[in-house]
Amino acid sequence: MATDTKSLYVLPGDAIDKSLVPRHKKQPLRLGPGLRHIPPSAIVPTTAGQLVVEPRKNSMWMEYNGGRYVPAQNDLVIGQVQRSAAELYLVNLAAHTASATLPQLAFEGATKKTRPQLAQGALVYARVVLANRHMDAELECVSAATGKAEGLGPLTGGMAFDVSLGLARRLLMARSRDEGGVEVLELLGAEGLAFETAVGRNGRVWVGSDSPKTIVLVGRALRETDEGRLDVEQQRKLVKRLVREMR
Amino acid sequence: MPREAEPSLNEKQFIVQALGEKLRLDGREFDQYRPLELTFGDQYGVANVTLGKTRVLAKVSAEVTVPYVDRPLDGVFTIATELGPMASPAFEVGRPTETEVLLARLLEKTVRRSGALDTESLCLVAGQKCWSVRVDVHVLAHDGNLIDASCFAVVAALRHFRKPDTSIASGQLTVYTPAEREPVPLSWLHSPFCVTWSFFGDDGETTLLDATWAEEQVRVSSCTVSLNRHGEICQIAKLGGVPVEAVALLQCTAVALTKAKEFSTFLDGKLAEDAKRRNKGGFMAELSSENDR
Repeated sequence: MATDTKSLYVLPGDAIDKSLVPRHKKQPLRLGPGLRHIPPSAIVPTTAGQLVVEPRKNSMWMEYNGGRYVPAQNDLVIGQVQRSAAELYLVNLAAHTASATLPQLAFEGATKKTRPQLAQGALVYARVVLANRHMDAELECVSAATGKAEGLGPLTGGMAFDVSLGLARRLLMARSRDEGGVEVLELLGAEGLAFETAVGRNGRVWVGSDSPKTIVLVGRALRETDEGRLDVEQQRKLVKRLVREMR
Repeated sequence: MPREAEPSLNEKQFIVQALGEKLRLDGREFDQYRPLELTFGDQYGVANVTLGKTRVLAKVSAEVTVPYVDRPLDGVFTIATELGPMASPAFEVGRPTETEVLLARLLEKTVRRSGALDTESLCLVAGQKCWSVRVDVHVLAHDGNLIDASCFAVVAALRHFRKPDTSIASGQLTVYTPAEREPVPLSWLHSPFCVTWSFFGDDGETTLLDATWAEEQVRVSSCTVSLNRHGEICQIAKLGGVPVEAVALLQCTAVALTKAKEFSTFLDGKLAEDAKRRNKGGFMAELSSENDR
């Protein structure tokens, strides 16, 4: 939630009061996810959630905790390879939905002779390039501008945990403690545990570490934060309790 | 078409690796069940069981019908299980999967074949009329260990159920409504419970109780022991999978007895609580003519 916003909870199809819509002299109004513009001047929410307004950037959007992930452009996701077709990998982003495609050459340093060999069931950290409701989503594991992976690519070892979409989004925020209210990963690191994580916007978090005990601990902390909807203070207590139990 | 959601390679390898270091993903002991909750419905014979994230609902109903021709002195007792898309998107209505067939068979052997319910007591008029008791098991959510949860739900629902009272006078059968006469409980002989063990490792050396769905996908073998709290075994089913040491199986049955006793105590407690809730004040309250104004 950005500072100096008015936020309220709305249901799909609710009318939004004109006074809530921000006005700016120069910038046009930007609508984020969950809102639809019906010309001439109606703005209608399409999901149930919290309406957030940011006057400085002249934008408004919805914060909601949906069930199924819908691919959106420039999202970072963790996908599971289903099978490989001609020049493509078919990657599953969410259970029982259509697969996304990942070109076999969209990896760092991949040429026709040297391709990455991904087995069925392998996990990849990728970015969504193309996503609209008429076509299958497309992914890439390399930044198109620089040609470098920048953290994307196959994930080896470790363990993938399922989290809700809302928690995944808050973990990916730049200032996750102030704006998102999640500090659990930082707190675990502060307790001296050594691990690395990759958060997928599609509700999966990959945790890698040398010690399986650490991975299990991180997984339990994430699950209890998610299911209990803990705030920062409760997360602190949770982390202390888990670390004490494991030792 | 629904596809079985397979766990990824990383998940499978990690679960096996963690078990090698005596760790389970949710921090449980190897022989610890997830939190078990049981609630009864307002109607008699409805039991809702939650075992972690697995949820099973069992409902018992009874009606008067004609007995089987070859068994004129017995009533009819059937258990119907249905795994639909509500449990998991991999299940389809009307097309039984392997899980569903195995579940139905194990429940049949555990509850029906062991004679937990006395079918002779269901007979009303020999060869002409009998009670047909039917248990419908609905799996609402599948997160592993359907067998133990379903068996517990079936036993709880049957012990909770009350059938209408009847009387026979000169060949005429009268079935009383609950308003006329209090319904009577079924004639119950013993309470069997299922305890399912999962085996992991190349030789099946690691044994776990109450596997979650992810652990079930990785296990190499499983064995279900059905027994009651007196130690009488109804059946032991180990259907394929990696061979396991006989000594390990014996140890499993020994621990299964402890768990069956725990289940039995838990169920007795819940039934007593429910009886108290329905019958506040007991006999004296019914006899008293006080009005609460």
